[in-house]
Amino acid sequence: MNRTELKTEIDQRWPGQVQCLSESDSLCEMICTHIALPELCGRLFLEWNFSFAGLIVEEGASEWHLRYAFYGERNAGWVHVLVTAPLAERTFPSIVKFVHAADWHEREAEDLFGLNFEGHPRLGDFILHDDAWQENVEPMRRHFDPKEAMRHRKPDEDWRPHRIVQEPGAFVMPVGPKYSGVTESVHFLLETVGEDVIRSTSRLFYKWRAIEKLAEGKPADEVLLLAERFAATTAFAHGLAFCQAVETVCGANLPPRAKTLRILLAELERLRQHAGAIQEICESTALAVANAHAGICEEELLRISCELTGHRYLFGVLALGGLLCDLPNDACSKALEKSQKVLVQLNVLEKHLRVSSSFLDRLEEVGVVQQRTAWAYGLLGPIARASGIVRDLRRAQPYLGYGNFQFDVPGEQEGDGYARLRILFAEARQSVRIMEQAVAALQGGSVFEPLQLRAGAALGWVEAPRGGAFHWVRLDENGKVARYRIIAPSFANWHGFHLSVEKFAFQDFPIMLSTFDLSVAENDR
Amino acid sequence: MLTWLGCLASIALILAGASALLAGNTFSQPLWALLGLVATLTVKLDALSAVFIFITGLVLFPASIFAGGSNVQSRAFTVFMFGLYASIALIFLAGDVVLFLLAWEVMSILCWLLIVCGREKENGYSGSGYLLLAMGEAGTLAAALGFLLLAVAAGSLDFSAIKSAGANLGAGVQWAVFLLSFFGFGVKAGLVPVNFWLPRAYVAAPRAFVPVLAGATLNLGLYGILRVNADLMPATHAAPGLVALVVGTLSALVGILYATTDNDLKIMLAHSSIENVGIIVAGFGAGMVFVATSHPALAAIAFVAALYHLINHSLYKTLLFFGVGVVETQTGTRDMDRLGGLSKWMPLTALGFFVGTLAISGLPPFNGFVSEWLTLQTVLRSAELSSVGAKLVFAICGAGLALTAALAVTCFVKVYAMSFLGMRRLNEDQKVSEAKSGALAPIAILAVLCLAFGVLPTYVIPALDAATNPLVGASAAENLVPPFFASNPAHDTLPPAFVEDFHNLGAQVGQSVLPGRGLVVLHRGGEANPVVFAMSTSYSFVALIGLLLLTYIVLRLWLTRDRKLTRRLRWDGGVRNLLPEMTYTATGFSNPVRVIFDAVFRPTTVEDTRETVAEHFRTAIIREKERVHLVDKLVFHPVRIGVMWFAGRLARMHHGRFNAYAAYALLTLLVMLVVFLLFQTS
Amino acid sequence: MSQWVINGIRAGIKTTAYPAKPETVAGVSPGLPVGSDYPANEIDSLISHCPTRVFSDSDGQIIVDRRRCIHCYRCVRGVERPVNWEQTYEWGAVRDGQHEFGQPFERSIHICVVDAGDCGACLNEVKQLNNPYYNMHRLGFFITPTPRHADVLLVVGPVTDHMKIALKKVYDAMPTPKRVIAVGACALTGGVFAESFVCAKGVGDVLPVDVEVPGNPAPPLAILHGLLVATGRKTPATWVGNNTMKA
Repeated sequence: MNRTELKTEIDQRWPGQVQCLSESDSLCEMICTHIALPELCGRLFLEWNFSFAGLIVEEGASEWHLRYAFYGERNAGWVHVLVTAPLAERTFPSIVKFVHAADWHEREAEDLFGLNFEGHPRLGDFILHDDAWQENVEPMRRHFDPKEAMRHRKPDEDWRPHRIVQEPGAFVMPVGPKYSGVTESVHFLLETVGEDVIRSTSRLFYKWRAIEKLAEGKPADEVLLLAERFAATTAFAHGLAFCQAVETVCGANLPPRAKTLRILLAELERLRQHAGAIQEICESTALAVANAHAGICEEELLRISCELTGHRYLFGVLALGGLLCDLPNDACSKALEKSQKVLVQLNVLEKHLRVSSSFLDRLEEVGVVQQRTAWAYGLLGPIARASGIVRDLRRAQPYLGYGNFQFDVPGEQEGDGYARLRILFAEARQSVRIMEQAVAALQGGSVFEPLQLRAGAALGWVEAPRGGAFHWVRLDENGKVARYRIIAPSFANWHGFHLSVEKFAFQDFPIMLSTFDLSVAENDR
Repeated sequence: MLTWLGCLASIALILAGASALLAGNTFSQPLWALLGLVATLTVKLDALSAVFIFITGLVLFPASIFAGGSNVQSRAFTVFMFGLYASIALIFLAGDVVLFLLAWEVMSILCWLLIVCGREKENGYSGSGYLLLAMGEAGTLAAALGFLLLAVAAGSLDFSAIKSAGANLGAGVQWAVFLLSFFGFGVKAGLVPVNFWLPRAYVAAPRAFVPVLAGATLNLGLYGILRVNADLMPATHAAPGLVALVVGTLSALVGILYATTDNDLKIMLAHSSIENVGIIVAGFGAGMVFVATSHPALAAIAFVAALYHLINHSLYKTLLFFGVGVVETQTGTRDMDRLGGLSKWMPLTALGFFVGTLAISGLPPFNGFVSEWLTLQTVLRSAELSSVGAKLVFAICGAGLALTAALAVTCFVKVYAMSFLGMRRLNEDQKVSEAKSGALAPIAILAVLCLAFGVLPTYVIPALDAATNPLVGASAAENLVPPFFASNPAHDTLPPAFVEDFHNLGAQVGQSVLPGRGLVVLHRGGEANPVVFAMSTSYSFVALIGLLLLTYIVLRLWLTRDRKLTRRLRWDGGVRNLLPEMTYTATGFSNPVRVIFDAVFRPTTVEDTRETVAEHFRTAIIREKERVHLVDKLVFHPVRIGVMWFAGRLARMHHGRFNAYAAYALLTLLVMLVVFLLFQTS
Repeated sequence: MSQWVINGIRAGIKTTAYPAKPETVAGVSPGLPVGSDYPANEIDSLISHCPTRVFSDSDGQIIVDRRRCIHCYRCVRGVERPVNWEQTYEWGAVRDGQHEFGQPFERSIHICVVDAGDCGACLNEVKQLNNPYYNMHRLGFFITPTPRHADVLLVVGPVTDHMKIALKKVYDAMPTPKRVIAVGACALTGGVFAESFVCAKGVGDVLPVDVEVPGNPAPPLAILHGLLVATGRKTPATWVGNNTMKA
């Protein structure tokens, strides 16, 4: 539905409770009372086909500002639902009854800000692990003093894992935080009676570096360094989202060459990250030959990235207002040529994998995520598209001029591991297609237009390789960052990860983990 | 008092058995004649009985100490125990049918009384005792019928008379006797269709009595089977032997499957007993087949293997039950899911239990290895049979026995690890300490015996041979034990001069100190056979390992004398705190077996609910499965339902009307008169 | 099945000749700044321009603390006078010249990799060591999942508070003799996260570090060099000074 229809519906159902604060072509901000909040969010999410981007909590001078960001298809645009309350009041209604995707957002707000969400069945023990932190720490609040918190913190001997399974002989198998060979640190608690995983709980935030707190008070171009480096396997995408947010605040006009080059680099990163994800899947199934072939593709792309930009992960190219340095046209063409060769290798690999029955046995019909559940959990990116939710920010809410490029967004229906693998290969092909169009369309001119920093706040979004990434930035008058909220795609995908491993055996667990292409660094920040 | 008298009695049994076996002091003594019956109560001790008496004495010795030291004692209990010892001895010593059956009945009733008398309140199912009695009576009835058939054919109730007539029985009578005695005595032994009383009775039995139940009374059923089918009525065709082989293998498989997937220590050991009895009976069956097909040497080996396994089972099963008794006394629970880490608090018990576990898993150098090895070898020798059908049956049963052995290892790894190793899962306030010396001494005795019977089979086999030789007419010892190592001169088949010559030609290490001619014997050879070869006794590798270990320890202590030993925490993946609920439970360990053999277990789902809040928050997953034992489902429940139905019908007669009862008496009298008249005239 | 074989043969040998011969193909390393002469009046602005204080002044020469470089390239791009930049990768260095690790580390070693809050890039570069291009198995380096079998502990990431206990437990669980290699700018100095209240300033705050490999992320060849330094097959890079790195 489009904007006007939306507004009439809202006025009909909740007269007087919802007020439109501001409106532009792409964004509609509305402020809403506590009572109407859950239902309004529920309708947006379940009936009117809006996706839930995330919850952004800001501590104002005298008020809490909670912002629930929703986005739909192109004609519907963005809808931000705001809720306020005086600082002394900490209770808000929970919307998880309707929008299950908000589960972890509310838990994070409770841990970091001390807010209470009425109606949420399970708050607590999220970012600040219950067995390591005392109560009422609230690190994101303005008055937080880190030295104070450190003095009292001690591990809790009486902590027990939260158990759901009641069966004679059931136990909780701990995996991690250090497990397997070369893996990120995350702790799994698998409830089981021996063969199958009945319930899987992921205990994340072992890698929590408090980026959002670190960014407060820093100049915007220093925070760009943080944005690139907190989850460096998709550094360019996150840096780009941050730049877009700041550029929107400052009303910048990017030079067209900068936009096209940004698209080229973003797609190069997507191609490389997908090759890496394919390599992980082949490694997890222990198909050593495919692992080697995919590893060759990934290393090739890393070298192409380094040759083009000087850094294997595309650090140091983005700047607020464009790019830090120009990439000559012939270098871009050379990079494209080499990428096309890598794509040929990837296609050959896919052809071989499709007929490798021992490999497919491990992936087909294993780790199935149903479409309805995927929508309820707000899953993003290739794994959501494998379950039939075909929504891509480059199509739904185009940025950087993606609207002028021809590309398909692949989708599958099965939702199993094999569908996710097929999506990765298909998206790799589309990325090269976009890169070809970008190189052909390279304009002349500069790549940098300095920004006039001013106060304001905006949301920047990017379709990162793992799904939609949303960065909310609020600048103060001096051009310093007052609030930086990162909503990474792995945050939603980790939330839904347990769906794919339940009822499957231990041996399938690492394979499902690799098909989800999750990043702990992205989730933990 | 129980301890002292019991030990004395056991020693008497041991001496009697040993002297009969080793020295050949058998006897047969008629006691007194029974008026009206063609019978004389005879007491007879031959080599076969001697084996059983010996092992019973060996087991009752530590069992008396253990029972004496436990708390479940009352005067009645002591009297019943002595009565039981006496009746068991009489069964083995019985030389005629009447004494045998009398002693058997007394033993049955005493078993029941002991269970009922010492029963602990929390051991559920009060009907277990009645089931034991009822099944026992049914089995006795069948066995008695079998005996009577034999007696009718032989014209006398005396065993020696029956034996001489046993060779000329018709095929029909042979089958009838075999089936009746096999399944009749099989009740007591614990064979598959008729053993559903066993797990229940073992659970209900008090801690002091269960070792005797498992170590001594189980052997009575096996004695009965062996006595009837190998001694009194030797097999003339292969089919009964094959039946025995198949039933034995089935019992072994069913027993070990349920043992592996059960979490209660006592029930698990009960099922394991069923498994071991199955192996023994399979050995018997193989022996019967070989006797029927005229392979006496192979039959000898088969019977020796079965008897050896019987001895071993008595030893290590009793040892394991001692351990379980100690654990139950100290911790108050038998559930493996709630135990764990006990070896820290009761290290000596753990060591003894560990020896029992190794022995029952069939691992060298303990005794289980020898008998399982011999049994499997026997089954493999079926290649020498002529009938293809028999060979097929042997092959399948051999595979079944191998599977049993593998599952047994799984089962007992689980038992030992979940109870004694790992993290402690009991409550913090449960105080656990080492067993008292009254319990440790019997454990130690049996552990040493397990080792002894494992490293000195060259002594045991010739002794067993004395028992099996009369049954099959061939000597197993000849084939299994080099005559050189057989210490019993009465069984030497080589001329003494040759043996003397043999000795003096070679080097023997430690001859004066070690048994059996020392560790290694070298033989230079003579003119006819100028070869140098070495033979070693069966315990020499134990000695070798001991020496190597000692050398290693000494060297290591010397080389690292100035290094420090630090103890670090177990590696747990880096979690902040490893909790007992994060370690494997017994259910989890045996779950793969449960899943693979699902077609056998067929559990039914009692509950499988998932509670959710707000459609996606899972708050509880409650699952419970119920499992009915296969034999229960196929045999016990139908029989029970049938019997109840029949009793219901019969109950119609018990309506309480006095006139009808008088009419019944009159009717019976009339019928008897008619029958007598008819028989008079014919 | 045969198509895998044919494809493999067609792919050819990709493995780098390093360490026997230097690797010269493009794209293997992001490079690092090099100390050099610099006009005195511009030194202060250069020093303040770098977000992690890589540069310092020594009598009109710039000294580079390579452990701090986070590859933002703001000293070479968008400035009037870029610093000298070197496309090298042999960056493994040892503190205090203590690089005699002893005979147990001379041949093959088993490595336990711990992620103590890493952004993902350093870990990804460690993963690349097993791909056909680098193939660290041919040099005798193996990754083991359990610290009980490990000789060398390789840590990436500034150590976050939540991972401190786990990291210490891994170190304690390793049998002696053992060595620690810290890889990446975050592991050496905390990187961009040094000021965070839940991050330590590198692995050196928690464990004794033996070999340090700078870079953000350290490219696979640099990590290989660090491992070769740990096994005594390559001489370590020197720390201070404005000369070209002595490899």
